[in-house]
Amino acid sequence: MATDQIAAEFQQVWKIYPCGLWPRRSVQALRGVNLTIPTGSIYGLIGPNRAGKTTLMKLLLSIVHPSRGMVKRLGAPVTDRSTLAQIGYVHDSQAFPTYLTARSLLEYYGALSGVCSVARRLAIAARLDEVGLSDRSSEPIATYSKGMLQRLALAQALINDPELLVLDEPAEGMDLLARQLLHDVLTERHQQGRTAILVSHSLADIQRVCDHVAVLKYGEVAFAGRMDELLGREHNGSADLEEILKPIYASTEPYMNTAP
Amino acid sequence: MNTPNWTTTVAWLVRDTFRQSLASGVCWLLLATSAISTLVCLSVTVEGQSPLAAPGENPEFLPRGDRDAADPKYAAKEGVAIVSGNVKLGFGSISVPLARDAKSAVCNLELLFAGGVADTLGLLLTLVWTAGFLPQFLDRRHISVLLTKPAPRWCLLAGKYIGVLSFVLVHALLFVGGTWLALGLKTGVWYLSYWWCVPLLVLHFAIFFGFSLLLAVTTRSTVVCVFGSILFWFVCWGMNFGRHTLVLSQQLAPDATFSSSLTWLAEAGYWILPKPADFSFLLFDALDAQGYFRQQFDLQALRDAGFFSLELSVLTSLAFTAYLFAASARQFAQTDY
Repeated sequence: MATDQIAAEFQQVWKIYPCGLWPRRSVQALRGVNLTIPTGSIYGLIGPNRAGKTTLMKLLLSIVHPSRGMVKRLGAPVTDRSTLAQIGYVHDSQAFPTYLTARSLLEYYGALSGVCSVARRLAIAARLDEVGLSDRSSEPIATYSKGMLQRLALAQALINDPELLVLDEPAEGMDLLARQLLHDVLTERHQQGRTAILVSHSLADIQRVCDHVAVLKYGEVAFAGRMDELLGREHNGSADLEEILKPIYASTEPYMNTAP
Repeated sequence: MNTPNWTTTVAWLVRDTFRQSLASGVCWLLLATSAISTLVCLSVTVEGQSPLAAPGENPEFLPRGDRDAADPKYAAKEGVAIVSGNVKLGFGSISVPLARDAKSAVCNLELLFAGGVADTLGLLLTLVWTAGFLPQFLDRRHISVLLTKPAPRWCLLAGKYIGVLSFVLVHALLFVGGTWLALGLKTGVWYLSYWWCVPLLVLHFAIFFGFSLLLAVTTRSTVVCVFGSILFWFVCWGMNFGRHTLVLSQQLAPDATFSSSLTWLAEAGYWILPKPADFSFLLFDALDAQGYFRQQFDLQALRDAGFFSLELSVLTSLAFTAYLFAASARQFAQTDY
């Protein structure tokens, strides 16, 4: 795969967290992960709790540092922070400054992402409209519900029209309409040839929008490839992702190690 | 998409800090402090405002309680003035006899406001009130999104640090400006040296907020920042004061023996740590207060003996602050969120 066709790349990535004051222990969150995320894909990342999904995304976004291995983002090593200008990120427990309004938050975060003032003004109006917060945009964030915060988080992630969108449990607290909005955003970006990574426990959501999927378990990649490959190869073409994943989640050994 | 330069990032973080201060109420607390101090200054009147000596003339005077002052003819013959007049506070409710003249009374009040209200009580209260800004900013759920912005991590930290310093600068300007204007209007004494308090206050705050910054990056706890920075201020003050006392004692009693390890410890602590007591002396100097009041230490004796240099004192305090910021930035760059 050519470099410009790769949105994110992990090569033999390990992440070991120190744990406890005394005795000092360590927890292996990721163990030699190899994964390539092609440009233009909607990539689903699934796995049981403590599989290392969030850590993997945080490594990609330079929020945590790898213990070993190499991580590339949009063709450049993650140490090159300039590529972050083309990234959007939503996670499940956003805590925005509650003294800001939705509009001022988007202005602030847009400026930090490098969006110029004219483009920012247009983008703020468009994103607020898109996530359905235009009518509440001048109210303090402190008055927002969990679902509204997640909508705002989505608007914030899209403010710089990113090449790579990383969504870690974005549907947490979202109602049906908001979930539909999320699917629409992902589908639209897929059509535009942009990349998105969706981390979720909702297998239905993953199956519905993702064309690629990786299954993580105990810090290792148990499966990585096209969604139809997983669905077709493993369950005679059955569309029930939950049934397919049950044995993977239940097994103690990594299911298989494949790199696309 | 352009990567924003560091000045843009810092400017936005400064703006965010001002909004945070408004929302947290710290801005209003400091404004209230400045307003009350200005009101106190507006309540001041000085009677007997004529200077005791013409410009260039030796300001010799007799205190009002002096035996010879009872005979004005004697004083007139000797060419000395007799102190008269009162300084009234609280819109005339409190009347205090002037120790010298109007200028000395205003200088006394300004020293009280700059040294007591702003540089000690104000500084400690501001350290407490702003201690929560950084832990709130570094909250894992909040900072993780900011860390996905292209600005380097040190730039985010610098932006917040400069933001808090800018906030303190604005309030120092309001405090000094308000009290200076009020005292000037009420007494007719416009003491320009008083404005030196602004950079000194900000510098003094910058040093101790630097320690709070390091604690915030390491622990992300407001409680630790509050108690840690206050404790650090007291330790530095004690070290600074103790070292000068020790050196002066050695000067005054050359025959007395002092433990070499104690002397070494005092010298090392003094030169490494920030020097809040020296900042008070600097403030005293900036206000030309030595013409009116006695200083805690005979700084001139320390200077003459080569044990004190104001420039070196400020420079080493600033060097320690730079070290604190570098250590905080390094810690912040290495931390996983």
